[in-house]
Amino acid sequence: MLSFLIRRLNLLLITAFILTILAFAIDRTILIHHQTQPIVQQDYILQYFSYLWQIFSADLGHSALDQQPLLQRGLTFFASTLELCFVALLFSCIIAIPLGLLAGLFRNTKLDYAIMTVAIIGLALPVFWVGVMAVLLPSVWGDILPVDGNMSLVYDIPVVTGFLLIDTLFVTPQYGLFAFFDRVAHLILPAAVLSFFLIAEIVRLTRHSMTMVMRSNYIQTAYAKGFSRTKIVFKHALNNALPPIIPQLRLQLSTILSFAMTIEIVFNLNGIGTWLFNSLKTGDYHALPAGMLIITGFILMFSIAIEITMVIISPIRRGSLYADK
Amino acid sequence: MLINNGFNEDKIQSPLRYIWSIFKSKSIAVVAMWVIVFLVLVSLFASWLVPHSPLLQDPNKMLLPPYWVDGGSIDHVLGTDDLGRDTLSRLFHGIQYTLGGALLITLFVSIIGMTIGAGAALTKGLKASVLHHLLDALLAIPSLLSALILITFFGPSYINCLFAIALSLLPQFIRASYLAIEQELNKQYIVALQLDGAAKTRLFKYGILPNILEPTITILNRLFTMAIIEIATLGFLGFGAQLPQTELGSLIANNMELIYLSPWLVAFPGLAIFITIIIVNVFAEGLRHAVIEGEE
Amino acid sequence: MALLDIRNLSIDIETAQGKIRVIDKATLNIVDGSIHGLIGESGSGKTLIAKAILGLHSSNWTVTADRMFLDKTDLTKLSQKERREILGTEISVIFQEPSSYLDPSQKIRTQIESVLPKKTWEQRFRPILSKIKRVTVPSRRLQIKELLHKVGIQNDVAVLKSFPHQLSEGVCQKVMIAMAIANNPRLIIADEPTTAMESVTQSQIYRLLYKLNQLNNTTLLMLSNNFANTSSISDYMTLVYCGQTVESGSYKQIMGSAMHPYTQAMLKTMINNEDINEHKAQLYTLPGNIPSSNQLPIGCRLGPRCPKAQKICVKNPTLTILKGHSFRCHYPSKLS
Repeated sequence: MLSFLIRRLNLLLITAFILTILAFAIDRTILIHHQTQPIVQQDYILQYFSYLWQIFSADLGHSALDQQPLLQRGLTFFASTLELCFVALLFSCIIAIPLGLLAGLFRNTKLDYAIMTVAIIGLALPVFWVGVMAVLLPSVWGDILPVDGNMSLVYDIPVVTGFLLIDTLFVTPQYGLFAFFDRVAHLILPAAVLSFFLIAEIVRLTRHSMTMVMRSNYIQTAYAKGFSRTKIVFKHALNNALPPIIPQLRLQLSTILSFAMTIEIVFNLNGIGTWLFNSLKTGDYHALPAGMLIITGFILMFSIAIEITMVIISPIRRGSLYADK
Repeated sequence: MLINNGFNEDKIQSPLRYIWSIFKSKSIAVVAMWVIVFLVLVSLFASWLVPHSPLLQDPNKMLLPPYWVDGGSIDHVLGTDDLGRDTLSRLFHGIQYTLGGALLITLFVSIIGMTIGAGAALTKGLKASVLHHLLDALLAIPSLLSALILITFFGPSYINCLFAIALSLLPQFIRASYLAIEQELNKQYIVALQLDGAAKTRLFKYGILPNILEPTITILNRLFTMAIIEIATLGFLGFGAQLPQTELGSLIANNMELIYLSPWLVAFPGLAIFITIIIVNVFAEGLRHAVIEGEE
Repeated sequence: MALLDIRNLSIDIETAQGKIRVIDKATLNIVDGSIHGLIGESGSGKTLIAKAILGLHSSNWTVTADRMFLDKTDLTKLSQKERREILGTEISVIFQEPSSYLDPSQKIRTQIESVLPKKTWEQRFRPILSKIKRVTVPSRRLQIKELLHKVGIQNDVAVLKSFPHQLSEGVCQKVMIAMAIANNPRLIIADEPTTAMESVTQSQIYRLLYKLNQLNNTTLLMLSNNFANTSSISDYMTLVYCGQTVESGSYKQIMGSAMHPYTQAMLKTMINNEDINEHKAQLYTLPGNIPSSNQLPIGCRLGPRCPKAQKICVKNPTLTILKGHSFRCHYPSKLS
């Protein structure tokens, strides 16, 4: 196990290394292109190492506009994005996994076709257009769910963890639970829009996985042992069908983040999407490498976490620990 | 030996022909195919097909609704926008930009991506390892982000936007094709071909390529869908096609202010994107099922 | 006497090329307490017959039979639920590649426990009871241990803790047999149980199955493509060619007086040390190939390959039964 971890960390370091080189290249190209700061005529390799040192001391530079440290602001915004993704993921899993299981069990029946139609529609909807349509909703249905911003500006929440859902629970003496509910209300519509895509993906993956499992030999054995279909599904099939979905989802992570950023821009949430978008529009280009480092750093760490989880859950993976690559 | 062949033997068709005959039997997929042909023709010949020029402003007929609502006229089937420009013509031109752009991107990415993926899968050693790590790093960047980065350097324009999206979708395609080829390489018939003395290119062309038809369809479908959505998103955000180029995303963005006056102007381009993607997906699914059935 | 009585079983399958009659009027008669070998080449339909008996067929099969009786219960008239109960208790199945037929995500112990009958009340309160009464109640763990010892697995603790992919094929097969005999079934259907193993393990498994048959009087239906091995332990044999049962009878009858040309060809392919005297002599085979499923011959399916075929063989031959030795042939003859 330890050697596996070390090997994985190695790969992580190399990938992170490459990404920092990319960020550095972008940073320097921005300097050259947009002349925001005087160019220091030094050897590029030395410049790179000083940049790397900067990153390790948690300083990604300062915003050209208001001279605030980029890392802190970036992390706060990113926390908001993560909240959105997490809520959407939770919601989608609750809906999509049962649907996918049903579609896999009753393959090629009307139920299956209906569910797959929903999935195709979910994949085809352009995310920003649905967001725009959702912004239209208050004018049609009345002001039920808010569509602008992270939270109502009435509440003044101190930034403790950056995750507003948690921070709002800290101010209960002041506002009661109203701040929390307000935050949840602001999250509902964007999360719903993001879940269109997520539900479609998860339904497809679950259905595929379930079909493969139901066709396999040990399910035949279970039938031959005289188990009823329900029993087989709950005892044997689920345990084997659900774990492979997780690494597949991990591959989609960058697409999910991409869509989340788009939704943030449409709904004007304080996420990393809006931050980068506004920075580019106003000319604060140095936010770009900072944002890139934050996002890609998160994706890398998340990938490692998922791999470790897979090794813990699935016994077959443990066998392939030592026979890697 | 019988002289008259009294047995009714079916001609054993070649796999491709068999797949085509299965595909033809699924009516929805064939309908989808014809709609795609129609859309491609539209995107190629949009200028000749439209009733009005998309840029022609008609101050007398501003903000007309589509013809099935009161106040609309057959002259402008889907209504007009705030400068009197016909929506249908603008939609057709928009399809030209969005769909045509997506087709170009798909072509570009698939050829280069398949080559690189095959190269990575068939070679071992330092080259493949380096490529693998580079790919992992590039994959960690969301496509929107890399498109933004590239647009920052090269400035917002339609061609740059296409280029940026192609570069951001390339790693995903390379990885997907690499995985598909890797799966095929583990099978026994590849070993048999190698024992026959096949060189790597021959191995690829005759051994692997005919057998990865099904995964290829899936990843091409995905690539195309992502390309369309990305082009429209970048257009919407203002980083893609600039005025007066009519691209479906930028159409939506420009008409956002009019959303309460005439919601059709925002709905139609979005619907156009949506329907295009669905049609392509249905076609690809039909093709994929035909391939799976035909290979059994 | 007859545990399983199947007469004129036919299975039609819907494929892309139309409806194909894969099993054509198969007849099977299994005597209680015997080992019955169902022998045929790969693809001849043995597994299909077994699946039809068990009721594990998919929905695009049409199964028709004149009689399908499991010792006075008509299998065709049972509902799904009743069928399932029979599967659990009266008939058990052993499959071909055992490691893929075990659930890869569960330990062996969990899987064996799932087939054992539910814990009796005595077993549930075993810790308390053993202190009060003098009667010893076997614990679950002991039950499983005995079961594994019965099939010949000595280090049961290690085996119980592992997952299927960590065990060898032979051990997996023994575990499957253990699961099959856990409920003391009357009939065990073994679908090519040893095809995926090396010969030492094969003989171990054969010996085990033979022992089970002798000690518990369990009837055994062995499906196999290996004529020599299977005939050495079978009491009765049925040969299947291309979905038709060509000959059926006891060991003595088939080995001594085979009537059907296919059986005679099979017997000739068995290598025994007396007959081969020429160095590098060609081994005997029946000329021709097995027909593909969309070009099945009409009538007797051995027709195109049979050395004795005449024009009348395009009609399906009728079943002739002589003292328990049954065959379908227009031109049967004793091997001289």
